[in-house]
Amino acid sequence: MSVINFDFRNEVLSHNASLSYCYQCATCSGACPVALATAGKYNPRKIIELSILGLQDKLIEGVDVSVWLCSTCQTCVELCPQKVELTEIFTLIKNRSFEEGKIPEGFQLQGQSIVDNGVAIPYSKAIESRREKLGLPKVKTASVDEIKTILKETNFEKNILKVGK
Amino acid sequence: MAYDVFLGCVIPARLPYLEASARKVFTRLGIQLNDVEGFSCCPDPTGIEQIDHKTWLALGSRNLSLSKNQNGEIISFCSGCVETLKGVNYYVNKDSEALKEVNTILSKVGKKYDGKTKVKHFAEVLYENLDKVRDNVTRPLYGFKVAVHYGCHYLRPSEIIDWDDPFEPNTIDEIVKALGAESVDYEMKMECCGNPVEKTDKDLSLLLIENKLKSIQNAGANCVVVVCPACYQQFEFNQRELNKKNNTNYDIPIFYLSELSALAFGFKPDDIGLKFHRVRPNALFENTGFIKES
Repeated sequence: MSVINFDFRNEVLSHNASLSYCYQCATCSGACPVALATAGKYNPRKIIELSILGLQDKLIEGVDVSVWLCSTCQTCVELCPQKVELTEIFTLIKNRSFEEGKIPEGFQLQGQSIVDNGVAIPYSKAIESRREKLGLPKVKTASVDEIKTILKETNFEKNILKVGK
Repeated sequence: MAYDVFLGCVIPARLPYLEASARKVFTRLGIQLNDVEGFSCCPDPTGIEQIDHKTWLALGSRNLSLSKNQNGEIISFCSGCVETLKGVNYYVNKDSEALKEVNTILSKVGKKYDGKTKVKHFAEVLYENLDKVRDNVTRPLYGFKVAVHYGCHYLRPSEIIDWDDPFEPNTIDEIVKALGAESVDYEMKMECCGNPVEKTDKDLSLLLIENKLKSIQNAGANCVVVVCPACYQQFEFNQRELNKKNNTNYDIPIFYLSELSALAFGFKPDDIGLKFHRVRPNALFENTGFIKES
């Protein structure tokens, strides 16, 4: 049995009212490349159904279907006859998961690199010398302190430390 | 014509040879690229945006606020960066509360964004200058049967990207033809490369790219063109990985659109660092007579 989380349901609806337009036609799932590749195991319609029902725990724990398998290709968003903004709703669910420290490792690694370096991929010595050989200019990226100040303001730094704890 | 160039993370810090070809092509076209100091990660629309929309808006707005050239116009060689920067613009212009919140955050670092910086993908600029592109072709790519991979974020969501058709695009096909190559249609042309799901499920991501490669091979294409570094890595690096894992023997050269353009403009493979490719295009060059001695 799953418990309906009305706060969660209302939160999704207040962020993105398009959720309530969904009549479960499954156009999204029919067009989804990940649904095709997983023979329907990943199913965007199901995620919207669980969201309408307010089953936050199932969504965050990835029971039945994992929202993290969305490739963000935006095909469903283009095709939805009811203009439900699926990717935005999925983003909201993933953002809530992040606040609970529950995100896949690949996302955590990228997030940690932004905190440490301001960029997703720091410049190694080898790459800097390769850039020079290719005649490319030295890149002056953002001040790490400045980016950290922003990440503190948005609680990003705090939340990334929660992951896996 | 001048743009502020937004390099992002993947191209300059991992695939700098793609940047080299793009800079050469735009110099040849007489389009000036201004380097700007202080950009951070865009941030990744398939990464950071997925875990923290507010951080994505704030860092994206900060980047956009740094564009200071006369037009306030940014060009990027990466579809992910373009999606983020266009997306951030979309949200802060749609929702004045969001812009206010972003500027409250940015005020802590002495910055402010007005929502007005324009953003273009480099393929957009090439297409807008198609006659100039054609005029600069000195070595047409005859015999190149190109499978065009548009990738998702070059096109969608169309309301945000506001450029080519989200399902029946033609801009990159037209550029490829202007370079003297043939664009080969294939069954899985509009499908996702699978890169974004790699962060969650590597095997699934390999399956998605395998389906595309199979379809490209069946269509008789002899190379692929991409306009996004995530797609590039998926097609190039994971082609090798797939061969190892499944004992397949895919050997399809992957080019960035800027590399194909540079070759057609007469630049030599060594000028643009083609030797850094993992899938070598030597056989293609010999078979098409593009380079006879190699």
